[in-house]
Amino acid sequence: MGSSIATAGYTFVVEETKEVVGEDLGLLQEKLLQLNWGVQHPASGPMRLKVWVDGDEVVKVDPDIGYVLRLLEKLVEYRTWINAIVNVERACFMDDFGTMTGYSIAAEKIAGVEVPKKADYVRTILCEGGRIVSHLIGLGSFVGVMGVHTPMQWALIAREKFLDAFETFSGQRIATSSIVPGGVRYEPTGKFIEKMVVAVDYLEKEFIPRYEEVFVDNPTLKIRSVGVGKVSKEKAIEIGLAGPALRASGVASDIRKDYPYAAYGELDFKVITKEEGDSYARYLVIWEELKESAKIIRQAIEGLPEGDYRTKFPIKVPQGEAYVNVEWARGCFGFHLVSEGGTGPYRLKMRAPSFANLWAMPEIMKNVKLADVPVIFASLYMCHGDIDR
Amino acid sequence: MLEEVKEKVSSKFGFQCEEYDTNILLVHCTKERLRELVSYLKELGFNYPHTVSVVDYTPKGNGFQVNYVLENLEEKNLVMVRVELPENDLSVPTVSDIFPPLQPHEREAWEMFGIDFIGNPRLEVMLLPQWAKGLFPLRKSYDFKKHRKPTKEKK
Repeated sequence: MGSSIATAGYTFVVEETKEVVGEDLGLLQEKLLQLNWGVQHPASGPMRLKVWVDGDEVVKVDPDIGYVLRLLEKLVEYRTWINAIVNVERACFMDDFGTMTGYSIAAEKIAGVEVPKKADYVRTILCEGGRIVSHLIGLGSFVGVMGVHTPMQWALIAREKFLDAFETFSGQRIATSSIVPGGVRYEPTGKFIEKMVVAVDYLEKEFIPRYEEVFVDNPTLKIRSVGVGKVSKEKAIEIGLAGPALRASGVASDIRKDYPYAAYGELDFKVITKEEGDSYARYLVIWEELKESAKIIRQAIEGLPEGDYRTKFPIKVPQGEAYVNVEWARGCFGFHLVSEGGTGPYRLKMRAPSFANLWAMPEIMKNVKLADVPVIFASLYMCHGDIDR
Repeated sequence: MLEEVKEKVSSKFGFQCEEYDTNILLVHCTKERLRELVSYLKELGFNYPHTVSVVDYTPKGNGFQVNYVLENLEEKNLVMVRVELPENDLSVPTVSDIFPPLQPHEREAWEMFGIDFIGNPRLEVMLLPQWAKGLFPLRKSYDFKKHRKPTKEKK
């Protein structure tokens, strides 16, 4: 911390260090104190962290989750193949397209259905739209945990434009249910493409040039986040980080590049990685992925082929199973889908990236200051919907 | 790359391996040699664990299936290790000391399916409320209607 204050142009002098251990401190004699961070904390969301502190220093962190458990994996077993998307997309409302795409690809693999090329491109456009929407909220809430809530409102203005496009496409702004096994549910009309272009234009030409300085070159933000919660490359793999948090530690793992699905194999984009591995690097990865996603949407709109957008998906799917990964906004989302020849899934296991990040967090939060807990928490970019499912 | 892994695993352990998907290899393993196989795969570079996925085949009389999914981040491929468990002996040795990230995944599998991961340091209720401990809601035998709270109209 001291060094980061110095780099920001401030001088910082430690006058004296007081020795308090061993003195009679009365009520403060109890050295370890357990604090509840959440459920009512403004930054925590519906979960609780039990934080043990020694003075101002965090000794141990234990997450308490399950407040938004809906048992989606069980509910899916009572649905038909098409209806199941309603449960799958509710893993997290911010980027619902990624989860629907992953489930649909898994179902198509078992059924042996080939999707039209146009559907692949529309899925790509929607997935990247969903990623931008989710990243904007992630950026806004990262600044929000430090007590500044205005940038969140700027991010929400940009998000609104994308929600308008989703509304034109499917009639819904958030839970769109628009990607099904066999393609996409609605025709991508000219109006939808037009709205998408308007949204991307706003993001690239208004939002990013106007607010980049506030979001990225912000001295206050840097003081709070540079060097906080540092994770090395080896450590990131060992504790199993996922998504932007893994890439911020220098591991170039991106399902879109490694195992291309939808139309990603034909489009040109790069995987954002950072070497530092601290909270600020994780935040920068999210920021730079916004620009990459905008580029992907432009390419996909340009290359949008003619033809059908949906094929017939059988009511009964033959016996089989598939494991499919997709690069969701928050990381690699895995679907283990099993069919027993029925009209619906026999079993669906969802591997959630936020769940992996959450249980890696206690390792990162050892020996940090209490004030750094929300910063690290927000930088890991987790969604409670997909922790609990 | 996966062909090499397939040869190595089948010559060293004698396990049946098959191609699950492009980039995914399926290894049928026994629970006695699970830990040995998983540490060998970690040496081969499969160092990024994805999840523990349990499938309940009891209605068909096949017991339970535990799948461990591991990824090789360098070579970009995956391996799925499958252990079959009979219905009357639902215990499997833990791999949470070899792969620490799998510890909460095993914990989830324990609370949802009742599979005992021997040696896992923390088999406690995580996602479910405390009163639902031992109900194992993701099992096929779980009866939704039995545990449903009465609605106001029906009483």
